[in-house]
Amino acid sequence: MFMQALGFGLITASILAIGAVGFTTQFGVTNILNLAYGEVMTASAFAAYIAVSRGLNPWWGLAVGGVFGALFSFALNRGLYTPFIRRGSKLFVMIIVTIAVSLIVQNMLQVVWGPQFYSIHADPGTTVHVLGMVFTTTQLYIILIAALALVALHSLLRFSRIGKAMRATASDAELARNCGIQTKRVVDLAWLLSGLLCGIAGVALVMELGSFQSTTGGAFLVPIIAAAVLGGVGQIYGAMLGGLIIGIATELAAVYVNPEYKDVVAFGILIVVLLIRPQGILAEVASQKEVAA
Amino acid sequence: MSTAWAFYISTVLVYLGVNTMACWGLNLQYGYTGILNFAYIIFLSAGGYTAAVLTLGPKTEGGYQQYVFGLNLPFPLPIIAGGVVGGLLSAVVGAIALRRLRSDYQAMVFLVISIIATTVVTNDVGLFNGPAGLSLIPKPLDTVVNLSLVGYQWFYVGVTAVICAVVYAFVRRITRSPLGRSMRAVRDHEHAAAALGKNVAAIRMTSFIVGGVIAGISGAVLVSFISAWSPGGWLYQETFVLFTAIIVGGTANNAGAALGALLVPVLFLETTRFLPPIGRPGLTDALQWVAVGSLALIFLWFWPRGVLPERKRVINIPDLTSPPVAIPTTVTTAADHAGRAE
Repeated sequence: MFMQALGFGLITASILAIGAVGFTTQFGVTNILNLAYGEVMTASAFAAYIAVSRGLNPWWGLAVGGVFGALFSFALNRGLYTPFIRRGSKLFVMIIVTIAVSLIVQNMLQVVWGPQFYSIHADPGTTVHVLGMVFTTTQLYIILIAALALVALHSLLRFSRIGKAMRATASDAELARNCGIQTKRVVDLAWLLSGLLCGIAGVALVMELGSFQSTTGGAFLVPIIAAAVLGGVGQIYGAMLGGLIIGIATELAAVYVNPEYKDVVAFGILIVVLLIRPQGILAEVASQKEVAA
Repeated sequence: MSTAWAFYISTVLVYLGVNTMACWGLNLQYGYTGILNFAYIIFLSAGGYTAAVLTLGPKTEGGYQQYVFGLNLPFPLPIIAGGVVGGLLSAVVGAIALRRLRSDYQAMVFLVISIIATTVVTNDVGLFNGPAGLSLIPKPLDTVVNLSLVGYQWFYVGVTAVICAVVYAFVRRITRSPLGRSMRAVRDHEHAAAALGKNVAAIRMTSFIVGGVIAGISGAVLVSFISAWSPGGWLYQETFVLFTAIIVGGTANNAGAALGALLVPVLFLETTRFLPPIGRPGLTDALQWVAVGSLALIFLWFWPRGVLPERKRVINIPDLTSPPVAIPTTVTTAADHAGRAE
């Protein structure tokens, strides 16, 4: 029972980790708390659904979802968020803007696709037993993709020039600009990367859930935020760890408490973290730290 | 005026009163003090549930609905209790959320609290009858005034108007007082306010609790009128409607908040009931949400201060604007200065 719950937790954790890392990458660099992130996930899942229903392999559908998410996030930032910030909108106005976007996107998806459920059929493959945990091959692939995506992001940030520029911008945008880093390009890249991970997380989520509708991504946003905040915002490894903890904790709660309270556990963790370590998420502290070690 | 029209108009007027009160409470928190309370609707809902369980009477064994604290209190008490519970809940939530968090984090915490509240009330059926919600809540004074259906409607419009007037007098008293000025100071420049000796945390908390009381009262008035209340009526998106109302009407302006309540939740959302339903079920709702979201974005872009902007407050201090006076040489002049300053 415990091992099986742990197994479920690992899969949820992988999807959460991709989502949380994407969320935190963008937030660390741009400082915009993008509450429309969940809706970008759903939109990407629908993009993947279209691709798969045209006869594409579900794994290529995952790639389509990722690319769509990247472009969508990029467009949202260029078309809406950046103009609002240039107008001098304050942090709390930006929150209202992102919530408005999330409502608009979610309901537009419902207008177009209706309230019914859709599913992307990936062949679950054979079941594999690992240490008392049961996985399908699809689930193993999802875990593998999560691991690959995170290693790739790590290498990009650690070893490439643009990755270094990104870390510099995240820790002090003003200083980075004065050092000749083109922070505008860095911000664009952050949105693209974040959207890519967001799209992948969205498609992986609906493959794992089996079915989805216009509200699926939005419902998954709070655990993602919980994971990102638990890890310390802007901290990519923190977000990975946060995803792991939240994923396993929620699945254990589902088994031992009540499946309906899965999310409440995630929220509870989020609020406790904010109470015990509010300094860990204060802007001053977060900006002193690098986005990744 | 036909009965149907009278019924419809009186219903809309009660909604207007309820939304106006709710907007005043939220405006106090958001417009005046800068607290982004995205859980506002749960305080309204708490007031509504309180009024409901305090009028439904003791729970009967094997009854069709379950709830806690069944009592049968006479009219003004359930509404007042709704306000009290809204305030108490605000004190608890405020103690958690009004910490030294960045404003966007705070908004996120409120959003999360709102979602948790909905999840708990939906799943804990013993609390307020779960997803089905409470129904057949007795209307206040229904048996006492003994009016026709439409007559009672107009009677309740009057009750709502009186409560609105009381709430308005209270809100106006706060916003025009030194406390209101301190709230604006906290909103505009927290550190400066603190440096001038204002207790920022206490001012925020006061504003938050007063807003919660008003939300509770408005929820109690609403639920007593519609006789039913369920989690579907207070999802976190509903808070967004009130925010949109304040943004459209004008933040930090009580007349603006009232105008916003008239324009957004009442005219914009209620009048669409006249339109014939188009397409499949749920389509109109979805389009409405798209419209509300777009309305908020359009106003934030083109008229961020709303239809009735906040009054510019200019304080003339002639002594500071005139060129520096020579240093007083005699004791008398210094005393004169002191006397004038007072």
